[in-house]
Amino acid sequence: MDIASITASQVIFFILAAVILAGSVMTVVSRKLLHAAVYLLFVLLATAGIYFLLNYHFLAAVQISVYIGGILVLLVFSIYLTSQVGEKMDEPGIVKKTVTMLISMGGAVFCFWVLCTGQFPYADQIHLNEIDMHAIGQSLLGTERYQYLLPFEAISVLLLACIIGGILIATGNTKKED
Amino acid sequence: MNDLVQLMRPEMLLLAQVVFLLLFDLFAPDRARRHTDAVACALFLASIAVGFLPSTTGEAFGGMFTVTAMTQVVKNVLSIGLLLVFLQSRVWLSDERTSFKKAEFYILTLSTLLGMNLMISAGHFLLFYLGLELASLPLTTLVAYNKYSDESIEAGAKFVLIAAFSSGMMLFGISLFYGAAGADGLYFDVLSSRLAATPLQLLALVFFLSGVAFKISLVPFHLWTADVYQGAPTSVTAFLSVVSKGAAVFALMFLSFRLFAPLFEYWQYVVWALVVLTITIGNLFAMRQDNMKRFLAFSSISQAGYILLGMIAGTPLAMSSVVYYLLVYLVSNLGIFAVVSILENNSGKVHISDYRGLYRTNPYLSVVLMLFLFSLGGIPPFAGFFSKFFVFMAAADQGFYVLDFIALINTVISLYYYLLVVKAMFIADSENPIPTLHTDSWSRLCLTLCLVGTLFFGVFSGIYAFLSSGAWGL
Repeated sequence: MDIASITASQVIFFILAAVILAGSVMTVVSRKLLHAAVYLLFVLLATAGIYFLLNYHFLAAVQISVYIGGILVLLVFSIYLTSQVGEKMDEPGIVKKTVTMLISMGGAVFCFWVLCTGQFPYADQIHLNEIDMHAIGQSLLGTERYQYLLPFEAISVLLLACIIGGILIATGNTKKED
Repeated sequence: MNDLVQLMRPEMLLLAQVVFLLLFDLFAPDRARRHTDAVACALFLASIAVGFLPSTTGEAFGGMFTVTAMTQVVKNVLSIGLLLVFLQSRVWLSDERTSFKKAEFYILTLSTLLGMNLMISAGHFLLFYLGLELASLPLTTLVAYNKYSDESIEAGAKFVLIAAFSSGMMLFGISLFYGAAGADGLYFDVLSSRLAATPLQLLALVFFLSGVAFKISLVPFHLWTADVYQGAPTSVTAFLSVVSKGAAVFALMFLSFRLFAPLFEYWQYVVWALVVLTITIGNLFAMRQDNMKRFLAFSSISQAGYILLGMIAGTPLAMSSVVYYLLVYLVSNLGIFAVVSILENNSGKVHISDYRGLYRTNPYLSVVLMLFLFSLGGIPPFAGFFSKFFVFMAAADQGFYVLDFIALINTVISLYYYLLVVKAMFIADSENPIPTLHTDSWSRLCLTLCLVGTLFFGVFSGIYAFLSSGAWGL
């Protein structure tokens, strides 16, 4: 790639990608749960940044409100409820560390190589202009091809089942089980 | 519209049952709620009966949802499995420690069955993935159903982590397919025409396959199985090992036929290795178990290997033998689980060493258990022999002689450990065997149905003939 031909959006993309990469590694490596959650925050934010860069404004908004506003806050709550602040997880042994690192690095390099040499013949079919809300709503609730009513309903059932399951776990009994 | 109702009849009926049971549990008077089991079973039985009525085939939602004659058969098989699970779980659910949440058991199992149906009929990766999640996430809470038991909670935690991990692998594979075949390529009918065995597509296939392999618990993706099976309540384990595993197998079968046909040459190498590993390791570990549920976990791992052996050939003959194998596995394994849960509910004992001298005190139960074990091991007069025979034949038909030979040796090994249980019951003596038990009528019905299936499916060739006849509009 020619240095002179790099556009501003490419620079932004590389910065975001670097943040995502570094953040993900730190999330996994960090020994403190709360720190890991904060690194995860950066990963999710930078992902939203990539969506903005691609003009997927709706998706970016969903990413921020659901993942950062909802899931991450829940995660932090559950960390506070279940562990002491500043508590460190145990350090794994050196053998485990080396083996894990070798395997995961090997896998990552292999995938990277396949992705770099791979061809993406259908890449030009993807729209890069902003999609308006009207079209999104239409395709969420339509039954034709490229419309997604059935998955949408499947998600509703999944949510219902998970809520019932959550209540099932949380509910108590006056007679204690042993 | 009328067509859509016809096509999605099983799914709509399941959803209606879920909603009905939810409202029933909320609003019915206490007197009526005591009969939740009967209501749930009667409704489900009715919906199975409707499932056997003739119906149309075709696709809906622009190719998102496809119905063939075979998907209908397969959905009915899974429903029958769930009905047998319902029958054998009644005693456990009626216990005062669990009876206040029994409606949830029915609601959640029915929703997972709905997920499995969607997965089997999916014509798009999105629906496939959502079906898979619907088939596994609610199960987590069922695994952790006995929430005051540490084992159950541990099993639930392991199950949810594995479910998330395997979904992650699978989604990565799907995203690679998206890259290699474009946005339209998420539809199966488009993707199959765009597959050309490029390295990228093969990598996608490997990741996708690993995700499914976790659900079927093939070696080396099996490590969660024994702990989860042991910790979960026995009826949930039965559901996991038969219905849940069967659904994943069927889904994989349809995908391999409908979608991955262009990659078949490569996929056979992977499956070859998976079969050998799964059967052998499952068998070797099964020999060492004393806890009956762990034992059955490893036995079901090795059974999954035989199922995969049927799939390697990729011919219509192979597909019908896989469905037949699963049908036979369903009745035999659910029969064993019924006996195990009867013994566990009445005496709290789940170890093979506790079964010593069982023949003296409970002759009927021991004989029935022996028959199921023989069927699972593949001893001739029972259905298990024929199902193994067809699977071996399907593989040999395509020239997989070495693989057949390895599997055959493993069959002999598996006979050894199935007979260990029989030996404990009939030959070994015990100071204090499990006392004589009273078996409730629901479990008895379940055992009878399983026994009839085990004997009848083998002798009556019509079943296999039906499966291998016209149903191959895959």
